[in-house]
Amino acid sequence: MNILRGLVGGALGYVVGAGLMMAIRSSAGGRAWEVESVTAGAWLFALSGWLLGVGVWRYWARGWFGRDVAPYTATGGRRYLDFDTDHKVIGIQYLVTFLGMFFMAGLFAMLMRWELMGNGEDIVGPDQYNSIMSLHGTMMVFVAVAATVGAFGNYVVPIMIGADDMAFPKLNAMSYWLVPPVLIALTASFLAGGYDTGWTGYAPLSVQSDVGGLFFNLAFFTLGLSSIVGAINIVVTVVTMRAEGMTWTRMPIFVWSIFVTAILSFIFTQFIGLAMLMVVLDRTAGTIFFDPAAGGSPLLYQHVFWFYSHPAVYIMILPAFGITLELVSTFTRKPLFGYKWAVGALLGIMSLSAVVWAHHMFTSGMAEALRKPFLASTELISIPTGLIFLCALGTLWLGKIRFEVPMLFALGVLFNFLIGGITGVFLADVPVDIQLQDTYFVVAHFHYVILGGGIFGLFGATYYWFPKMTGRSMSDRLGKVHFWWMMIGFNATFLPMFILGMQGMNRRVADYSPDLESANFAVSMGGFFLGTSFVIFLFNFIWSWARGPAAPADPWGSLTLEWQIPSPPPHENFTSPPLVLSDPYGYGDPDSVHADLARDGAKTVVEK
Amino acid sequence: MSGDESKKANTRWVVMTGLLWVVATVLGELAVAAIEWHPFGASREARITDDAFDLLMVLSVPVISFVLVMGGVALVRGRGGVIDEDGPPVRSHRLFIGGWVVLTSALAVLVIITPGFSGLDELRAEPVPDLVIDVHAERWNWVYTYPESGRETQGELVLPVDQRIMFRISSTDVIHSFWIPAFRIKQDAVPGQITTTMVTPEALGEFDNADELRVQCAELCGVGHARMWTGVRVVTEAEFEEWLAGAGG
Ligand SMILES: [Cu+2]
Ligand SMILES: [Cu+2]
Repeated sequence: MNILRGLVGGALGYVVGAGLMMAIRSSAGGRAWEVESVTAGAWLFALSGWLLGVGVWRYWARGWFGRDVAPYTATGGRRYLDFDTDHKVIGIQYLVTFLGMFFMAGLFAMLMRWELMGNGEDIVGPDQYNSIMSLHGTMMVFVAVAATVGAFGNYVVPIMIGADDMAFPKLNAMSYWLVPPVLIALTASFLAGGYDTGWTGYAPLSVQSDVGGLFFNLAFFTLGLSSIVGAINIVVTVVTMRAEGMTWTRMPIFVWSIFVTAILSFIFTQFIGLAMLMVVLDRTAGTIFFDPAAGGSPLLYQHVFWFYSHPAVYIMILPAFGITLELVSTFTRKPLFGYKWAVGALLGIMSLSAVVWAHHMFTSGMAEALRKPFLASTELISIPTGLIFLCALGTLWLGKIRFEVPMLFALGVLFNFLIGGITGVFLADVPVDIQLQDTYFVVAHFHYVILGGGIFGLFGATYYWFPKMTGRSMSDRLGKVHFWWMMIGFNATFLPMFILGMQGMNRRVADYSPDLESANFAVSMGGFFLGTSFVIFLFNFIWSWARGPAAPADPWGSLTLEWQIPSPPPHENFTSPPLVLSDPYGYGDPDSVHADLARDGAKTVVEK
Repeated sequence: MSGDESKKANTRWVVMTGLLWVVATVLGELAVAAIEWHPFGASREARITDDAFDLLMVLSVPVISFVLVMGGVALVRGRGGVIDEDGPPVRSHRLFIGGWVVLTSALAVLVIITPGFSGLDELRAEPVPDLVIDVHAERWNWVYTYPESGRETQGELVLPVDQRIMFRISSTDVIHSFWIPAFRIKQDAVPGQITTTMVTPEALGEFDNADELRVQCAELCGVGHARMWTGVRVVTEAEFEEWLAGAGG
């Protein structure tokens, strides 16, 4: 119902905005209708209309005008389709939406590997290939940026710090409901024939691309809006909503990782919005930011773009680090080794990530003098990143290890990121990068980081918190089959890509020279194998949610707060505000108590 | 086990891990040395770049093997844990953390950044060209002009061996990237800007014998991007002069 209202609101907004744009255009002496400039201007109105219709008006904005807000009546499954302000509902909305987007983008990847299986252009032409490749990259970047933070940052973080919800629940709902317009813009882009710029959308190519490119700009802009709103919420929640006794040094490391991620997202996302906006203005309003003939600069785009998009890499990977350390501690039944070093590592990565963006531009034609500083700053990131491995290895050592499914994924993150990180050191070395930039070596590297690190972390988190979110257990056996299938498929796909890149295969091509055919065939086979592994996950996920056996409150024996309350948690999370007494890593210490959850009533103290 | 015995057992595991690490590193280095990582290289720049790559490869082996060996030993040793049996409450270890921080910092600063800088300096040395060639990128082909003789070609880039060559690269439409895999040089062609890169070819050859001897566009530039390439032919100086004069076709 509210979705229908949102669609009507969006359509009305578009009409109003389009009318306004057309009035402006004709008063300036131009032709009233021109699809790009009218749509670009009308998008903001459509977005507002959508938000108002989907729930902002009825549940929120009416109050601004002294009216009574509508009572919220949705219950059960319908809450997931409504403007619900419960952080747990929003977390599940994010998880399902972005898993869906992940599988869609994965299908595009299958199509790409099908085309690249043999030499020559067999399945799709170069034009379609570019569109598919661009959509695959864009959607996967969206998933990597938003899935873990949106799903588990929302669902788990408030409970972990002992809060009953986020600081701004309505804003939280709004940040989720900004995602459907992103999907609409991507679909519109696809229907309009796509765009051929890749997810990086470099100007001036992007300024000249077809109307599909405009929808890409609008989609990224809108996702950025959603990210910023969500990030503000998480930062404020962690700063102000921690339970009594939940000091900074007692926070679970996952909370730290999401907190640091949110700060990055809050600071840097505006720059991607800016990059997109500047391209839209160049396309529609006659500005000349990137037009060299009129005094603009194509390199300006790359600087603004990477000023966001490098930190974005850490927005994708830091939550996975947090999950990994959390899981390693839980499944070794040992305190997190070097907790303060792990926090320091997260903060160090956060700070350094602001000053490394031009390592994507070593061959771009930027000033020669910039190469050395960016080489140095980038290589320095290996120090805090190494600390994450220090903490993981130190925790594993002497651990009593349980190879549960989430733990397997955590170990997968460590293995894959080891390769992703070390090849990053290669790419930061300017002479090596000059040869490898824009080849499959880069493609392999960032898939090791983002898929092998970030998305493996997302799946680990999903297996780990599924019982808490649904009150049901996933099949352990299917989970293990999925892990090994995915792990083998992943490495079989992306390890040979390093070799392909070194042998001279450049990225973003539908065709390549004949001598690369056998390696490409092998990569495609690995890719199909990897792709099928998700069928098992999907089956397990859906079946367990509907029919899985009931899960206990704390199936993993973890000490953090979310496991001390029922699965799924009640609406207000805790019956009385928890009193936190120590950090949640008291394994091996019989006297350690993380929190008192019932200080008003009967004394049922949560022990390890 | 008494405290003493468990301490002893622990020392044994540490020693074993260390030994395994040494063995894994030696084996890894041997494997790295045995494999030919690089495609056909034919320039001064290719030597510098390949050396830099090889150095990083040699350095990565002990790092990778350390993480895998220590992690692997911990997993094997600690396998079969159960939910109600805790590990020891170890939260820190001064020597391990201190050593790690010092070593990784030294590795980053001394052994990675410093050679990166010197490799870059080496690439930039010898900045005076014997020959300048203008490279113009346009969707979707390459145009080469030899300003001294005014000769303009498409379809093949002809270069003299052992000469210092500077490419002045330009574009009119979108960004392209001038890449010759055999030379390990790559430089974007940016509209509104002249970018430069230098190379000294050191081996004769042509595309028909070596796929890597080609100019390949490396920056996505639209539908013809994959096909935006031409062959490269490296000839002797005499042949080059002859070709430049128009006789060599
Ligand atoms: Cu980067
Ligand atoms: Cu190109």
